[in-house]
Amino acid sequence: MNSYYAANLLIYAGVDIIALLALNLQFGLSGIVNFSFIVFQSIGAYTAAVLSLPPDTANGGFQIYFGGYQLPFPIPWIGGAVAGGLLAIPVGLVVLRKLRSDYQAIALLVLSIITNEVITNARPLLNGAAGLALVPPPFSDQIDPNTQSYQFLYVGITAVCVVLVFVLASRVVNSPYGRSLRAMREREIAAIAIGKNPVQLKMTVFILGGIIAGLSGAILVGFIQLWAPSVWLYPETIILFAAIIVGGRGNNIGAILGALLVPVGFEELTRFIPTTIGPPGLIPALQWVAIGLLIIGFLWFRPDGVRPEPRRVFEGAPVIEDVDRARRS
Amino acid sequence: MELYVAALGFGLVSMSVIAIAAVGFTMQFGITNMINLAYGEVMISSAYVAYYLNKAGISIWIGMVGGALFGAVFSFLLNRIVYAPFLRKGTSHIGMVIVSLAVSLMMANVLLPIVGYYSVSYQDTTGGLLRAGGIVLTTNQIVIIGLAVVLMLGIHGLLRYTRLGKAMRATAANPTLARNCGIPTQRVVDAVWLITGALCGLAGVIAAMNSDSFAIANGAGFLITALAAAVLGGAGQSYGAMIGAVIIGIVTELSAAAWAPEYKEVVAFGILVAVMVLRPQGLLAKRGALAAAG
Repeated sequence: MNSYYAANLLIYAGVDIIALLALNLQFGLSGIVNFSFIVFQSIGAYTAAVLSLPPDTANGGFQIYFGGYQLPFPIPWIGGAVAGGLLAIPVGLVVLRKLRSDYQAIALLVLSIITNEVITNARPLLNGAAGLALVPPPFSDQIDPNTQSYQFLYVGITAVCVVLVFVLASRVVNSPYGRSLRAMREREIAAIAIGKNPVQLKMTVFILGGIIAGLSGAILVGFIQLWAPSVWLYPETIILFAAIIVGGRGNNIGAILGALLVPVGFEELTRFIPTTIGPPGLIPALQWVAIGLLIIGFLWFRPDGVRPEPRRVFEGAPVIEDVDRARRS
Repeated sequence: MELYVAALGFGLVSMSVIAIAAVGFTMQFGITNMINLAYGEVMISSAYVAYYLNKAGISIWIGMVGGALFGAVFSFLLNRIVYAPFLRKGTSHIGMVIVSLAVSLMMANVLLPIVGYYSVSYQDTTGGLLRAGGIVLTTNQIVIIGLAVVLMLGIHGLLRYTRLGKAMRATAANPTLARNCGIPTQRVVDAVWLITGALCGLAGVIAAMNSDSFAIANGAGFLITALAAAVLGGAGQSYGAMIGAVIIGIVTELSAAAWAPEYKEVVAFGILVAVMVLRPQGLLAKRGALAAAG
């Protein structure tokens, strides 16, 4: 195993962990089925790309896009995070205010499919189906990105971001705000009855998730240096949902576990199956089938995931059996 | 101006295709309370069944029956093997949406190695041209329109005048009460999956016929258009879906003439968003999208 492979694996793991912590806040903690999660990651990636790329006349003008500001390191990442949060505002206002939760899910799914289609067809915006390439990695004017030390530096920055996001997510999960979110997820009417405003709760967590998702996209694009519609098709979101379901909804450890088991573990294991078996596209297609089976299998046999959300009780609380009975009825 | 008259003609065909798809989708949702996101993939699979029959030298009209049969049997089995057990287990609405999305993903990827990435098209599907006041349609398109009209009248008759239709409406309104009144809701639900599955399969073949060529990737587009028409009309409302199909069909074809054909689905999506903002319950339903999912 060479160091490039190790760095690659660690950075993907870091990006997936950040993304899943965000999705866990939205889906696990608050019950918002954000089927367009990958769109938020992707707007972060595109924003970071156009903020760090030179104007599109550079490199012989082989790709067209707007912007191209050549800004130094932290700005593209911050820009990506801000873009994710900004996108969450209009989307949330349309989807989260009035609609039933299953309608929210299908509206977001359709949004994801349509956004991808628009970006693919509208070439002048972000270079269409070909996508953006040669995105300058952070500090590339100071350190050569093809050296080992640069890769370790990148792993280091990613790790710092993972820790920051984890601390933030833990604070949210354990705060009174997090309790309100759980209450809303479990029974929205009851949460309204004790004076919680579900639209406000959903909007804030949707925007927060959007910000973190944007950051994860920005980190990824800085490393792989390209971003195109084919890498953010809607099934990518399903992988993340599979990870949350496998890891365990509503707790950050479960989200991290899910990231390590599904997008990292599963993809890395199946990477070694030679793709020359059978007709072209057979093995990648079977990987997707396996993701589907993973979701259905876990929802059937172990709906709470590998690490279920801890039940939060205080001393003197009613007996758990009573609570269970009340929840069932 | 002539362009728009011609677009209106295509709109008639489009609305016929969408109506069949959307009525099937909305009946599934209205009666079984299941948002079946695999609907688009069942449509495209049926289109491929008809394609292989057609390729073997069988007329596309018989292939269409084959596609409808496949859609019916497959949807029935899908419910029996996957959805019904999960529902019995008490999986939440959202859980069911995720399950159906997983099924859709699996179907697309089982199909992919079998049919390949490339676009295919049926043979001998154009027929002669008919002209009437600027509208130019092929005979096959006329047949499609006629078929849609007959099917819509059939659905209307089924729901209004037959015992099965009455039982379906009762099951949609309140399954527990229906069961207590002696309606075999299990059999009704089976019948619904067979009927809507047949509509779905038929819609898939017709949609594939109506586009010059089709590929595996079209499944998502089929789903979006059917969804948009169903939501516009009010989810679960068969007549609403018909109205929704008329509006979506005309608007998308006119926009294709005025703007660009590759944005048809984007226009359908725009209508979907507008409905969700302005009238989330849809044109006909009283509660629909606003009621708590329970």
